Amino acid sequence: MGQLVVNGLALGSIYALVALGLLLIFNTVQIVNFAQGQLLMLGAFIGISCAVTHELPVATAWAITMVAMALVGIVFMVLVYFPLRGRPAFLVILTTIAMGIVLENLALIVWGPLPVSLPSPVRGPPFRFAGVVVSMHQIFIFATLAVILLLQFFFLTKTRFGILMQATAQDLHTARLVGIPVNRTIAVAFAFGTVLSGIAGLLVAPIFLAEPTMGGSLGLKGFVVSVIGGFGNLPGAVIGGLFLGLIETFGARYISSNFRDAYAFIVMIAVLVAWPRGLFGEKSSEKV
Amino acid sequence: MKSWFMLALSAAVTLAVPVVVHDGYIIQLLNIAILNAIVVLGLNFVTGWAGQINFGQAAFYGLGAYTTAIATKAGLPWIAAPFLSVIVVVVASLMLGLPTMRLRTYYLAMTTIGFGEIVRLMIVHWEPVTGGTSGLRAIPGVSVFGFGPQGQMQHYYLLIATLGLAILIASRIRHSVLGRAMIATRDSEIAAEQSGVDTTRTKLLAFMIGAVYAGLAGCLYASSIRFISPDSFSGTQAILLMTMLIVGGMGSIAGCVVGAVALTILPEALRFLGQWYLVLYGLGVIAVIVMAPGGLASLASLAQLRRANAG
Repeated sequence: MGQLVVNGLALGSIYALVALGLLLIFNTVQIVNFAQGQLLMLGAFIGISCAVTHELPVATAWAITMVAMALVGIVFMVLVYFPLRGRPAFLVILTTIAMGIVLENLALIVWGPLPVSLPSPVRGPPFRFAGVVVSMHQIFIFATLAVILLLQFFFLTKTRFGILMQATAQDLHTARLVGIPVNRTIAVAFAFGTVLSGIAGLLVAPIFLAEPTMGGSLGLKGFVVSVIGGFGNLPGAVIGGLFLGLIETFGARYISSNFRDAYAFIVMIAVLVAWPRGLFGEKSSEKV
Repeated sequence: MKSWFMLALSAAVTLAVPVVVHDGYIIQLLNIAILNAIVVLGLNFVTGWAGQINFGQAAFYGLGAYTTAIATKAGLPWIAAPFLSVIVVVVASLMLGLPTMRLRTYYLAMTTIGFGEIVRLMIVHWEPVTGGTSGLRAIPGVSVFGFGPQGQMQHYYLLIATLGLAILIASRIRHSVLGRAMIATRDSEIAAEQSGVDTTRTKLLAFMIGAVYAGLAGCLYASSIRFISPDSFSGTQAILLMTMLIVGGMGSIAGCVVGAVALTILPEALRFLGQWYLVLYGLGVIAVIVMAPGGLASLASLAQLRRANAG
């Protein structure tokens, strides 16, 4: 039981990280990036290329991955966001999905279809506490989520740049009128959001193996979390993520592991029907 | 006058195809293309006209196919299968549509993706009935009181006739009160409501008609291809159907058919590209959305306009 809680929270932390990446982009440009899962996969594979293929230390691999992902985020923005600015959300959804297909198949060409493992940056014997085993990697996941959450909170609410970002999110044209460098702000949001999904990829790869097709379901879980917690809501994303991790782990144990991936959607549809703004409310509401 | 000529010409070409082409593989591919065209026409009601995103269309396709396969394999006469398939998809579309048709964009996209995934998982894991990942084989063919098409060529004509009927019904609905209400809902929900259109009901009806198209296409898929597996109705397929609609031209009946046929044949014709095909497919979709958001249909009408201006 306790073990299930720990495993569920570890899984949920990764979902929360994916959702936090989505949130950064959503809060700035009101776009939901359906290729976030494939960006996560890309992060995992860049890490594997560094740490496994080129045998660099894992910490170096992490640093390289994060820089690379920031660049990927900016390229992504130029290719996918700029040409579609102001177009209906529907077309943006399809474009990001198409970009996901491109990334997934490029990864299949470059890295092949076989699953690969990435070593964890932390080593050491697992903790045992009242029959519950907590691995070092799980502790590392919790710590990473906590650090990122705090950083993101302070960045968005206390720094000048974070406030510029929020202003851009509220009204792009007014933000530009009062002299905010809108494009630079959006670029930073895309870079950060993509780095976050890269980190989620680096954290997932040591637990589950990394394969080019891993992105689809993880990305969707990130959206489910965003919907449950309310799009753009920071605490909502974290609580929603942990909640979903617990539901999946307990559902797989006590109901049926075959339908593991279905629980997320069932919970999401139930939440949407009961509370159309998500459990914790959404920043800007245009869904009903 | 000219459009009548084009219509007659394209009808003549479609009817002549199996006489000229004797390759069974190509006819089979065309049969699948026609079925996809019917499904995309259904999707056009929801997405092209009522303006609601829907990634659940492949699931309705699959529900129709599996209902027919299971019913006819259990020994029910074939004539019952289309009715059963329609009942199943109508019930499913009501279950999904009633609570979610008020939702917008991302939320609707997510719930329909979720619905598709739930249906797929049910098909994959309900193995005793659905055959799991290996699918169902040797499904009885179309047969009405002992008469039924034999061979791929006769199936081709049956499917073409069904597609013709589907096009006819779609174009009748497009200019009916309901069709206009759908377009009004897409253009501005607030304005439509102000003009007395019940937008939620309109969206739900569009969604149900779309599901019925997919369900009937699924029924014919099962009994003319005779083999079904969950892969044919997965989330990837749902995205492909949406792509066919976008590439062909949202809201255009001819666009739906052209998009569906082109994107069914293209992967087979470009098989030598291997994995690169999917990379190009993704990039191509982005290119179409960015450069020609109205799809191929809009390019055609643009060319017509240019000619008219020049002449």
